[in-house]
Amino acid sequence: MSKQIHLGEGEPVVPAGGAPIGLDKKPNRKLKKKSFWKRVKSQKALILMALPFVIWLLVFKYIPIAGWVMAFQNYKPQNGFFNQEWVFLDHFKELFHEPMFYRALENTLGMGILGIVFGTLSAITFALLLNEMRFVWFKKMTQTISYLPHFVSWVIVANIVTTMLSQEGPINTLLMGMGIIDNPIGFMSNPDMFWGIVTVSDVWKETGWNAIIYFAAMAGVDPQLYEAAKVDGASRWRQMWHITLPSIRPVIIVLLILNIGNLINIGFEKQMLLGNNIVADKALVIDLYALNYGIGMFRYSFGTAIGIFKSVVSIVLILIANGFAKRVGEGRVF
Amino acid sequence: MVKKHFWFGILLLVGVLLLSACQDDTATTDDSSSGSSDEPVTLTFFSSDGVEKEFNDPVAQKITEETGVELELDYPVGGNDEAIPLMIASGDYPDLIFAKGDIGKLIDAGGVIKLDDLIEEKGDNLKAMYGDQLDRLRNSIDDPSIYTVGTYGVNNAYWETSGTFQIQLDVLRELGYPEINTLEDFEAAITEYYEKYPEIDGQKTIPLSLLGSDWRWLITVGNPAGFAAGLEDDGQWAVNDETGEATYKFLLPELKEYFKWLNGLNDKGLLDPESFTHTYDTYISKVSSGRVLSVADQDWDIADADKALVQDGKEERTYAPLPVTLTEDYQSKGLKDYGFAGGWGIAISSTSEHQEKAFEFLDWMASEEAQILTNWGIEGVNYDIVDGKRVMKEEDRQRMNNDADYGKETGVGFYVYPFPQWGTAAVDSNGQSITPDSEQDIIDNFNSAEKEVLAEYDMENWIDWFPPTEELGVSKHGSVANFTIPSDSDLQVIQQKADDLIQQRITEAILAKPASFDSVWDKMLSELKDMDIETANQAMTKMVKDKKELWGTN
Repeated sequence: MSKQIHLGEGEPVVPAGGAPIGLDKKPNRKLKKKSFWKRVKSQKALILMALPFVIWLLVFKYIPIAGWVMAFQNYKPQNGFFNQEWVFLDHFKELFHEPMFYRALENTLGMGILGIVFGTLSAITFALLLNEMRFVWFKKMTQTISYLPHFVSWVIVANIVTTMLSQEGPINTLLMGMGIIDNPIGFMSNPDMFWGIVTVSDVWKETGWNAIIYFAAMAGVDPQLYEAAKVDGASRWRQMWHITLPSIRPVIIVLLILNIGNLINIGFEKQMLLGNNIVADKALVIDLYALNYGIGMFRYSFGTAIGIFKSVVSIVLILIANGFAKRVGEGRVF
Repeated sequence: MVKKHFWFGILLLVGVLLLSACQDDTATTDDSSSGSSDEPVTLTFFSSDGVEKEFNDPVAQKITEETGVELELDYPVGGNDEAIPLMIASGDYPDLIFAKGDIGKLIDAGGVIKLDDLIEEKGDNLKAMYGDQLDRLRNSIDDPSIYTVGTYGVNNAYWETSGTFQIQLDVLRELGYPEINTLEDFEAAITEYYEKYPEIDGQKTIPLSLLGSDWRWLITVGNPAGFAAGLEDDGQWAVNDETGEATYKFLLPELKEYFKWLNGLNDKGLLDPESFTHTYDTYISKVSSGRVLSVADQDWDIADADKALVQDGKEERTYAPLPVTLTEDYQSKGLKDYGFAGGWGIAISSTSEHQEKAFEFLDWMASEEAQILTNWGIEGVNYDIVDGKRVMKEEDRQRMNNDADYGKETGVGFYVYPFPQWGTAAVDSNGQSITPDSEQDIIDNFNSAEKEVLAEYDMENWIDWFPPTEELGVSKHGSVANFTIPSDSDLQVIQQKADDLIQQRITEAILAKPASFDSVWDKMLSELKDMDIETANQAMTKMVKDKKELWGTN
């Protein structure tokens, strides 16, 4: 039932009404060579169109990797590229001996996982509800309003959140007015609540935006399926469960894999802007640590070492997620 | 055919436009580098303390007229700390750089030039200004060159201090003008007033509010602890000026005593429970409302709130500085003279095309003419000469004290810091004060409530409460807060870690139940030990000793 979604390149190009090009059967050496150029020629336009992006990728994503050598040196910018002192793994050793780093790693993964779980759940739920909505104008209005917070800067969101949650803020006033609590709760001064506050504000900000892609996928589901289900007597709930969700499953899996790959790249704005000295133990994330103890202190090499570590973790995570998707036979990234 | 011609034409047009654009560019750079006498040279100036501003006010125009230099002012957007490291990473320096504590990074990166020879050759004004204090500009014992000039005034008088705490005038009035010298006195005063007036103008009274949610933690939580323990202001360090012995100050038992007292204050409900979570804006709005009885802050940090209180006619809610210490055995160092601090200043970049011009400009800024211009403004516009003496115009004087935009609009006082400047006690060739400040001005500018309370105490100025400058002597090492710590040294990394740690742990300790205060504190001490704080202590001790040797004060 499920459609395969391929995001990668290398899909055989199928011209309208023809067989795939370049799938010659006989691996004759001479013939193969000839057919390669033939293939290039026949795909000239496509290759030319792709070329700018390949160059872009090389220039901005691959060439900068040369900077990784900094992590194995005591890099001082004034010495130029070739006159650096080599220290090999010293920076990594220092990093892995640093208790702060492990705290940062724990917080990053913790908040990252919470963000993916609740971010995905809320976006799918929201898209499902929106999909079931009958009034078109109301649906469109809700969608527009719901993704507006995405465009608001974290600086402003953090200010709204701290004001709402302050001891004399609206939430405490409301709770006390309803007699649920006697004394104001110090939301922002409780380290145990910090991950939750970050996740909830993230969900508030991004649900509408993240729902767009699921919503679009739902719009592509064949209406005949619903009609057939209706004839069989399926209720709205049944239709959601047995038609809508399975139809968008490949999209969910692909997005999940991409998100898992980015698990460690949760940035630091939220944590820096919402954090304070009381919750600092729970708010320190890798990017903030790299900023304060890396480039902020002029330690380019140390900062680069953290960057490399992050990339390695990302690759491992994405391989695991992709392998899992492959095993369960669902849409995957590569 | 027609189509082909059309595209060719377009191509030609684009080409011509590109070429002319390039030519324009090169033409302007040529112009400025030739530095002809009638065209002013534009120098880019990055200041870590800068604000957004054009160099076009009357004082700036006068400076350009005199020196042929126009400044293009740049500043760190949003107060970011990464401006200098990024500048170094890109190798793209402005002509003049005021990097504050980051100057060491610029020196390491070879981004700034040595000024020794330039000062020797044509730095007459600078030599006259710094005199025998010139040594204090030197970088380090290993590299005793001069890279920067300016920032602090040479030859200062001490007429103002923010004390350990600042207390509302109405508290003093209500309690019959008590003497408040110790933590005990202080706590008694705010407690008594709080019990009498649990609400002020319909809002809950806050006996003491701190601001521990951002870098101001060090200002309102860390520093007052040292002041109460009778330490001089050496940043996070306690330095013995005689021996040069330096200790990370939060290791000291005196500091623990202070924080234990704060912990008790919190337990009794006298400390604002939001002290460590509210933002600066919220804090200032609380102080501006007049319901905060006392703060542990500096005048410059609460200046906006002070102005708001005066504007709302709540002068009795403004603050008086207190020389509070742990017990009578300690002495407040509020009026300590640190000497000319050196260390920080304006440097000239190694990539500047106008190094000589830039130096001539800095030298001119140190001249008497420039100092009078930047401090007083323009004669006949901002001040008059009455009986051979400079007198600020009444309107300017008013605006200077009450209008935050005065300096930005008129340029008066705007170009004093961080350029080379004379201090408040310096006089010009006619024997008149170079800066418009004098103790009499400060006294004249007290608001009506301040004057009333001072009169009750039979004092002229708040500093009469504090041990006088003469008694405290001049510091031989300046202040550690102005030291340039070598980047990527153990000391820098350990201090950063320690600063981060103490901000968390001390906050935790203050907010803890009094019974668990000791255990949180001991945990912090052992964590500091694990960070090898002892290495940092030794490194800092060496720095202080080197500084004294460099300055010839040991």
